[in-house]
Amino acid sequence: MQASRARLFKEYKEVQREKVADPDIQLACDDTNIFKWTALIKGPSETPYEGGVFQLAFAVPEQYPLQPPQVRFLTKIFHPNVHFKTGEICLDILKNAWSPAWTLQSVCRAIIALMAHPEPDSPLNCDSGNLLRSGDIRGFHSMARMYTRLAAMPKKG
Amino acid sequence: MAEYASSDDEERYQYYDDDDDDDDDVDVDGGDGGDEIVSLRSHGCRPAFKIITKESLMAAQEEDLRMVMDVLSLKEHVARTLLIHYRWDAEKLLEVLVEEGKEKLYADVGVTMMEHGKHIMSRFSSVVMCNICIEEVSANEMTTMDCGHFFCNTCWTEHFIVKINDGQSRRIRCMAHQCNAICDEEIVRNLVSARDLNLAVKFDRFLLESYIEDNRKIKWCPSVPHCGNAIRMDDPQFEVECSCGLQFCFSCSSEAHSPCSCQMWEMWAKKCQDESETVNWISVHTKPCPKCRKLVEKNGGCNLVYCICGQTFCWLCGGATGSDHTWTSIAGHSCGRFKDNEKVKVDRAKRETYLVRYLHYYNRYKAHKDSFKLESKLKETMQAKISNLEDKQCICKDFSWVTNGLSRLFRSRQIISYSYPFAYYMFGDLIENDLTKKEKEIKKNLFEDQQQQLEANIEKLSLYIEKPFDQFSNDEFMELRMKIITQSVVVDNLCSKLYECIENELLGSISGETHIIAPYKSKGVEKALELSVCRDMETSNTERNSG
Ligand SMILES: [Zn+2]
Ligand SMILES: [Zn+2]
Ligand SMILES: [Zn+2]
Ligand SMILES: [Zn+2]
Repeated sequence: MQASRARLFKEYKEVQREKVADPDIQLACDDTNIFKWTALIKGPSETPYEGGVFQLAFAVPEQYPLQPPQVRFLTKIFHPNVHFKTGEICLDILKNAWSPAWTLQSVCRAIIALMAHPEPDSPLNCDSGNLLRSGDIRGFHSMARMYTRLAAMPKKG
Repeated sequence: MAEYASSDDEERYQYYDDDDDDDDDVDVDGGDGGDEIVSLRSHGCRPAFKIITKESLMAAQEEDLRMVMDVLSLKEHVARTLLIHYRWDAEKLLEVLVEEGKEKLYADVGVTMMEHGKHIMSRFSSVVMCNICIEEVSANEMTTMDCGHFFCNTCWTEHFIVKINDGQSRRIRCMAHQCNAICDEEIVRNLVSARDLNLAVKFDRFLLESYIEDNRKIKWCPSVPHCGNAIRMDDPQFEVECSCGLQFCFSCSSEAHSPCSCQMWEMWAKKCQDESETVNWISVHTKPCPKCRKLVEKNGGCNLVYCICGQTFCWLCGGATGSDHTWTSIAGHSCGRFKDNEKVKVDRAKRETYLVRYLHYYNRYKAHKDSFKLESKLKETMQAKISNLEDKQCICKDFSWVTNGLSRLFRSRQIISYSYPFAYYMFGDLIENDLTKKEKEIKKNLFEDQQQQLEANIEKLSLYIEKPFDQFSNDEFMELRMKIITQSVVVDNLCSKLYECIENELLGSISGETHIIAPYKSKGVEKALELSVCRDMETSNTERNSG
């Protein structure tokens, strides 16, 4: 427990420094609970998520970094590896492929990479997985684009 | 260590000729013990089944590990990872090594043999940053794994503890991202024991248990409460007796059930559970005497029941056998034969037919099972009779014919009882539909003839053995001795014939999947022998434990 606190504190300091370095990720720690974090990530360019800002919630376990944090999307997103209702993410590094060398920051980077390169074979969102697998890229794009516009972009006016 | 070159693959290792044909040595006298000193160097007489006790577990595992470590000059943890991947089948592992080479072998298993020194931390800096806790740590507080990745001891320790508690002792990987290297057990052991001695012990136990649980050739003895033993099988035989006395089927870990196949036995065991309520009220533990209708309890192992009114009757069918009825003539008693229209009227519901059919087989199965239980008690009575005779200075000093007769009785009783569920499936749903009714009938009759002959002769043997021969005159005694010896041979031959009939005439007519039955062994179910440990293995273990 002590170890995870120390490590999270270091990551916090690191984040303050890196803010400038990585404009796509904005990590913030809950004021009262160092085990709760949120992140705002920018949708990668040349994807249907471009222009959107997505919010992630991190729940860090006490055995962090030996065990992975739980991460989910708070912003609705149409993506084959994200559960449409709960925002859960299917990503190997958050499960069996976790390594304690990962940080919250690098997890965010991995999630951005996942947004750019979906893996339709392990879908949490079956509809979108099916669209992609059946080769209906246009169908997938328009759905994903629609939800990005609806949920991840600042409302005009 | 060349031990492994022999065991399974006889064709490839012709020079171990004496190791072959374990199945055929029926006539070899059971000279157990004497010639069974198995060391790691002399492997001519390795028995098929070996018992691995808590004590020999370490040595058995070490033997396999050492072999792979020597051949490939590997560290223990790498050898273990390879062996776990191949389910501790060292021969298979070596085969892959020979045929496909080292690189392929390592790649398949996911062992990365990184060159050393790739990431070695600078020896000159006294303080290094640990990438996990992002802490500056003095260099001697850091540990570098084989893969070259280094982290601080605290982080390593935490990592190991999490993995051990997660039940992943067998494959604790390096903490670095995408590094597949398995952590050195020695390092794990040292770091963990510095923090939590109990957990280090647990780690070692998990590793040891992997030797059994991940091992294609080893099964835990299924005894309850568990005797602590596991059995290692080198030959594909199917039934084995553990040193705790339990006989079990090596392929499905349930009781020894031949001549039932594993599939039949599984179905039967389940069915008996499902039907038990129905059966309970129909098949009572007593049977009415055909003469006085008094309920008679089975009063001995054999299936001839005596009512106090003087009437004798057959326990299996409840039919009177008459006072002049001898055992030789009950041999022709055909109650083991199920006749479909015997009790079932044409208009009876299907379910009833089914139930009657099931009960027919179940009752006979159960009757022999019960006989077996009763006869098991004979062991002690027999011992008493023998010591009685020894006191009396009997003309005969050798009593092996009693003990042999008794074990023949036990074994054949088991076989005959399991032959009923076999028949239930064989002549029920499993038989091939292409066979004509007549062909089916022929097969069924063939089997039932064998079965009835065996059954009658088992009863005869049982009757002889229960005789109070310690009270007999010398002549009577010698006569009975001869009878028991002859009868044992008769029963043995009939068992063997029953298996032959099943294997040659019947199993082939089963549609669908292949059914395999354990081979009949004249000697009885193979007894697993204690695994003897080589002397220098023992010393290396004690050194290790003390060190
Ligand atoms: Zn590594
Ligand atoms: Zn550290
Ligand atoms: Zn046992
Ligand atoms: Zn079995």
